[in-house]
Amino acid sequence: MSTLPNKGEPITTTPSSPASKRRPILWVRNRWVLVGLVVAFAVLFPWLVDRPRFWIPNIGIRTLWLGTIAMSLVFLNKYVGLLSLAQVTFAGIAAYGVGYFSVTLGLPYLLSIPIGILIGTLAGFLVALIAVRTKAIYFLMITLAIGQVFFSYASQAIEVTGARRGLSPILREDYGFVDFRTLEVFYYAALLAVVLLYLLCHYLANTSFGFALQGIRDSPDRMAALGYRVNRYRVAAVTFAAFVASVGGMILVFDRSQVDPDVVSLGSTLDVLIAAVVGGVGSLGGVFLGAVVLALLDNFAQDFTERYQTLTGVIFIVVLLFAPAGLAGVGGQVTRAIRKRRDRAAPPPPEHQEPQAPVPAESAIQKGNQQ
Amino acid sequence: MPDSTHALRALDVSKTFGGVRAIKGVSLDIAWGERISVIGTNGAGKSTLFNAIAGVFPVTSGTIELFGEDATRLPTAARAKRGLARTFQTSRLFEGLTSAENVYVALGGTEFSGHLLRSSRRTPERWLRVEELLDRVGLSGRGPMIVADLSHGEQRQLELAMALALQPKLLMLDEPAAGFSPAERQHLSALLRDLPRDITLLLIEHDMDIALAVADRVVVMHDGEKILEGSPADIRASERVREIYLGGSIDDAA
Repeated sequence: MSTLPNKGEPITTTPSSPASKRRPILWVRNRWVLVGLVVAFAVLFPWLVDRPRFWIPNIGIRTLWLGTIAMSLVFLNKYVGLLSLAQVTFAGIAAYGVGYFSVTLGLPYLLSIPIGILIGTLAGFLVALIAVRTKAIYFLMITLAIGQVFFSYASQAIEVTGARRGLSPILREDYGFVDFRTLEVFYYAALLAVVLLYLLCHYLANTSFGFALQGIRDSPDRMAALGYRVNRYRVAAVTFAAFVASVGGMILVFDRSQVDPDVVSLGSTLDVLIAAVVGGVGSLGGVFLGAVVLALLDNFAQDFTERYQTLTGVIFIVVLLFAPAGLAGVGGQVTRAIRKRRDRAAPPPPEHQEPQAPVPAESAIQKGNQQ
Repeated sequence: MPDSTHALRALDVSKTFGGVRAIKGVSLDIAWGERISVIGTNGAGKSTLFNAIAGVFPVTSGTIELFGEDATRLPTAARAKRGLARTFQTSRLFEGLTSAENVYVALGGTEFSGHLLRSSRRTPERWLRVEELLDRVGLSGRGPMIVADLSHGEQRQLELAMALALQPKLLMLDEPAAGFSPAERQHLSALLRDLPRDITLLLIEHDMDIALAVADRVVVMHDGEKILEGSPADIRASERVREIYLGGSIDDAA
């Protein structure tokens, strides 16, 4: 049998070779190093900026809630293969929960916050019961429709939602041991919640549950044949994503000090979608990159152009064209490009140097089968 | 009347797709531990019968008993939980996962619902089972490879490992040798013959090679009907089968 290396990289059949195919060259090798760097930057951020009064809420906290809601969307998309446009709605329902129970009924926030999260999560569960029976574009449409229905409701149900005016004021309080009125305290509390949510998402993806979700994403028929009740898993995943979005909604509502229909408008849905796509729909952490880009655009684009929405659109298109995996996928793209160039520059070693040339993986596999 | 002497009893099963009768009143009994091959040309209704037994779609008429219990209306997942494992003709593996993770997921359907939220790193005993299953089908060392990087033959082997992960009472294989080289066929044939006898086997094969080598009894389907049933020797000798497999000499294949 000839052992000519095939066109791609000649992989030798050492035990580690299959794994090396996935490993990036240039990018940070360990995910946790990268996460640590980003978190360290986020912790130092209030001291790195010239005007903390402006930067902490407008860029920092906005990035945190926008990113969290977008992360819940990416979790569903990456691990379950469902694209949900109702994540902002779940966050908004949770926010309205806080508004209704504290502003209207006068409950303390320490009670209304868990209630709000619970209501947002429950909304996710109920939507999931209907929506998981549909797939792909239909799932997207049904979640979009549900979001719009809630937007109409929020705009009109004056007794519950305060209609156009919304519910306010929803103010951060001083609890003695922590003073949430301070921007820094609020920022760090939100950051802590976001880091915990990220870790939770990541943990869940690596449990039996998470693997099952990925199986359902790739082949629901087979999962059924393996004994999984596919729709139950989908419902559980959508409910969990609604929980993540609801926590994002908590940060949002205390950032804005009020909740109104704008929170659940189509525009907000698009913001979340743009943050997810710009950051990278395949990366849980990448969405925060997308969220920060969006927050920066919102705040600074007006300084040098009147058409800042056009600019956002153009940036969106540029990312889609040149980095389909989002900003978080750029590392992998660069790696592949370098690998390609290196392979072209250095063709496989001539055979006379090494009589026992490395066996390409594929021919070795065939050999294995014949034994 | 359900009875427990058979792993599977399909009684007068018919399936109609939009006016086309894919299978017409097929009955099939398989005793515990028996190995049955269903053969026939393309369009004979083999796969339809297979999918009807697996519960992919409801049958138009007739009943299906699994392990002494009426399963005609049971959903796919429930049949799997009762001990029915199947492979797919066109690979529907989990493309984004590694071979080992594929088998890991396969183990989960019936086995560890209680440990759903435990990190997969904390389940060494399951990864050991994964390794065992990969070894068993001849995929030793291929665990860390992404499924998309496996060869066609390896993907079929992985199919088998995933079906075996269920510890099935009834194992249904849908053309497991499709696209195999002769060497791979021999390997698969040996693998199937070596399966423990407590696994009842239902094999759908377009090709006679493996079908006759593995089976205790062979069922021949043609045009949606069961036309013949007998030992591999009977089938080999049958004029009717020769006619159906026009021109193909069975003796050469076997």
